[in-house]
Amino acid sequence: MVGLVGRLWNLQYKSIVKEALGKTLAVAKFFCVLHITNTYLCTFALAYGPSMVPTFNLTGDMFLAERLSIKFGKVGPGDIVLLRSPESPQKVMVKRLLGLESHSVTYVVDPMKSDRCDTIVVPKGHVWVEGDNIYNSRDSRQLGPVPYGLLEGKVFCKIWPPKEFRSLMKSGMKDPGFVVDAI
Amino acid sequence: MLPTLNLTGDLVLAEHVSHRIGKVGAGDVVLVRSPVDPRRILTKRVVGMEGDTVSFYVDPMYSQTTVVPKGHVWIQGDNTYASSDSRHFGPVPYGLIQGKVFFRVWPPDGFGTLEQ
Repeated sequence: MVGLVGRLWNLQYKSIVKEALGKTLAVAKFFCVLHITNTYLCTFALAYGPSMVPTFNLTGDMFLAERLSIKFGKVGPGDIVLLRSPESPQKVMVKRLLGLESHSVTYVVDPMKSDRCDTIVVPKGHVWVEGDNIYNSRDSRQLGPVPYGLLEGKVFCKIWPPKEFRSLMKSGMKDPGFVVDAI
Repeated sequence: MLPTLNLTGDLVLAEHVSHRIGKVGAGDVVLVRSPVDPRRILTKRVVGMEGDTVSFYVDPMYSQTTVVPKGHVWIQGDNTYASSDSRHFGPVPYGLIQGKVFFRVWPPDGFGTLEQ
């Protein structure tokens, strides 16, 4: 009688352990898929700061960025991109791409102080990025053309705040007459 | 990268953790995405980190000294006579480092860590 109870207990214990291992494996697989998607397919990020006003708010907008376009070279002028900062490698910035290699870019050097414009040809392997809010943005006008290898993702959709949920595909080229969307 | 790495191709192991936690320093052999061609990855040695003063020979008579700017590293190939590196394209942003080489696997007589 005791032997039978003992054997039943062993059986139950084994099945509990097996079930626990199975569930742990399922969770581990889920995190692996999440990590692969985040690194190679699509990621979301929170942007804060004044440099991309009015496209992104000062206090922080969440958006989705995909990573495949960068790897296949399918970015062009007008796209909003995520890139690693050339002066602080732990920071990731979000700016608008204005010129690829061998493009000739004209930019306002310091709009707070004067209207002086400068033209530069973007060297091979580099890109020119600028924030939409040129009055308060630290970008290629101060840092110089940025190597293409620092690009990390292309922003395609804004998801937070929910009333500003919209696609950010190549519809908004930097336009001096841009009116703030009252969505 | 002679004489550290052979002309005909060595197989090396590189780890992706060190550069994320900031443990890459002068003297390390690193994998770096080329600033000139973003599809190529180069293997070079880090000679100077940000803030270091680096001097290099532009030609056998004339040497130049630069300070590595913030957030950048100075990379040079070990074979300075035939290497396209920071002496040509300038300091490279730290964010372009892809990994640190720590071990050679092939050829078998070079099996082990790389010499400094």
